[in-house]
Amino acid sequence: MDEQGCPRCKTTKYRNPSLKLMVNVCGHTLCENCVEMLFVRGSSNCVQCDTPLRKSNFRVQLFEDPTVDKEVEIRKKVLKIYNKRDFDFPSLREYNDYLEQVEDIVYNLTNNVDVENTKLRMEQYQRENRDVIQRNKAKLTREQEELEELLLQEQQSNEQRRLEVLQEEQRQLQAKRKNKQALLDELVRCTRCMAVCMCNDKSSDAISELHYDRCSMSDRQTVSLQPVTKIEDVLYHYRPLQVETYGPPVPELEQLGRLGYLNHVRAAVTQDTAGGYTSGLACYRAIQDAFSGLFPLRG
Amino acid sequence: MFHNSSQKKYWIFKSEDELEHMRCKANQKFRNKALESGKKPGVSESMFLQRHEEDVLFRHYERRLLEFCNAFKPTMPKSVVGTALMYFRRFYLSNSVMEYHPRIIMLTCTYLACKVDEFNVSCTQFVGNLVQETPAGQERVLEQILEYELLLIQQLNFHLVVHNPYRPMEGLLIDLKTRYPTLESPESLRKTADDFLTQAAMTDAGLLFSPSQIALTAILNSASRAGLNMESYLTQCLGLKEEKETLSKMYDSMRRMKTLLKKYEPPKLEEVNISKQRLERIHAEFASSSNKRKRGYEEDGHVAKEPRLVEEVRQANIILSLTFVCCWFVLNNSF
Repeated sequence: MDEQGCPRCKTTKYRNPSLKLMVNVCGHTLCENCVEMLFVRGSSNCVQCDTPLRKSNFRVQLFEDPTVDKEVEIRKKVLKIYNKRDFDFPSLREYNDYLEQVEDIVYNLTNNVDVENTKLRMEQYQRENRDVIQRNKAKLTREQEELEELLLQEQQSNEQRRLEVLQEEQRQLQAKRKNKQALLDELVRCTRCMAVCMCNDKSSDAISELHYDRCSMSDRQTVSLQPVTKIEDVLYHYRPLQVETYGPPVPELEQLGRLGYLNHVRAAVTQDTAGGYTSGLACYRAIQDAFSGLFPLRG
Repeated sequence: MFHNSSQKKYWIFKSEDELEHMRCKANQKFRNKALESGKKPGVSESMFLQRHEEDVLFRHYERRLLEFCNAFKPTMPKSVVGTALMYFRRFYLSNSVMEYHPRIIMLTCTYLACKVDEFNVSCTQFVGNLVQETPAGQERVLEQILEYELLLIQQLNFHLVVHNPYRPMEGLLIDLKTRYPTLESPESLRKTADDFLTQAAMTDAGLLFSPSQIALTAILNSASRAGLNMESYLTQCLGLKEEKETLSKMYDSMRRMKTLLKKYEPPKLEEVNISKQRLERIHAEFASSSNKRKRGYEEDGHVAKEPRLVEEVRQANIILSLTFVCCWFVLNNSF
């Protein structure tokens, strides 16, 4: 694919594999950059065949051979006009003749053989079969719609299947949980275990092992219950942070308004309050700074 | 906050003697270094500056710094000025004016203070304020500033946050208005207190007392000037009724501060000129050592700043090569 270089700047196609080739109606290729540079005025002549071209006629190349691209374009245009279907013809022979006609036209246009005559023939055909063409166009759009509907339906069914799978999973999870719960209930109901559960476990390990053995023997549980080791530690006691400010105590931020400090600070404009600023903040900071370090530092 | 700041931990000293001791040590250090580095002819002990001459120069350049900040466009907030002055003072606590010329250090301090205090000025705007220089001269100054910036930060021990007494003064005024109705109009004290603070910034008060103490002294001073007695504020509102010892200590520090301010005298012009000449001579003499330092920075790698010339040449090269490429494309197109 990359052996084909841009005919103009040649080298840049190898260096830049992401560069795209563009094809025009004359079948010659140019890389994107060259198109930009040559067609900066909008229309110019082709580099190899000197036919007048327009920039808008350039399409990104999809096939290796630019002639294939050219033919694809021409075919699209021809089939817009020659759009009769198989049921339009009384017999297979005539349908095949019609198809051969179309192929001839496409071949002529692609290989620049007898272009004017072919075009004349196309126009003539178009004029004669105008209403047929219209009818078939409408049919075509209808078929496309049907296709889209089918696609939608398929998507929906996919979604449904996915939802069902999810629900199935959820049901399984729930069933598992119920099983666990049932197991625990069994344990609680078991009469030998009752005494063990009630007592304070100082020697928790021994008792829980005994408990485990008995349970496994009598109730034939298949689930293994590991004894949980209890860790005793000092209870956390919250002590608020003490900070030495070397100055008189500062009133709390919330008390500032009540104590009357805010009357002597510039009130916050609506613009400031939008960002979360309150006059209390500035006041609090000023008071903090005023009292911090006020008392002598040593002693 | 001030109470857990680096200023309180490292930059508040006990007495003026300690400060004087540090400055003498810096002076001595430079002398030793200069004598060791070059046993050149003409270098003699008498060339070096004495402590009082250094002081004169320091005060002179401090004034220049203040004037520069006051003439700055856009208007520099007071906290930036206070920070710059503090940086200047701290720098020359452990360095001598003979080693680093105060003219550049003063601008570097201001530049750094603008950055630290988030007073946003671009560097070109900053040097644009040096009206007596040509644009080329301004560029050179900017280069020097950028060279010395890291040194300044290092000598400040990377303690860049400076607490100024302006906000504590506002806080005290708010507190007075709220809790001390005996004083009718605290606003009238503001102007004199402001002047007091500006004067205090030119003394060592910032290195000896906390900013809130300086602010309180300013307010009490202006109150006593206006003939108002504010003793009850200290005892009642600040809760010092029982603590006689703390109260006496506070009065003591206030007295010390006032003496500091009284002792300050602006430098005399003739003294300044004489000392400046000698300073220039010292710098010219030991300029080689400072050049070595500059190169040392670049070799270190992390302070490598390309000189502007090389930058321009590089830019010119890029432009030339671009034009060549364009020509080549144009020629190709014409085919």
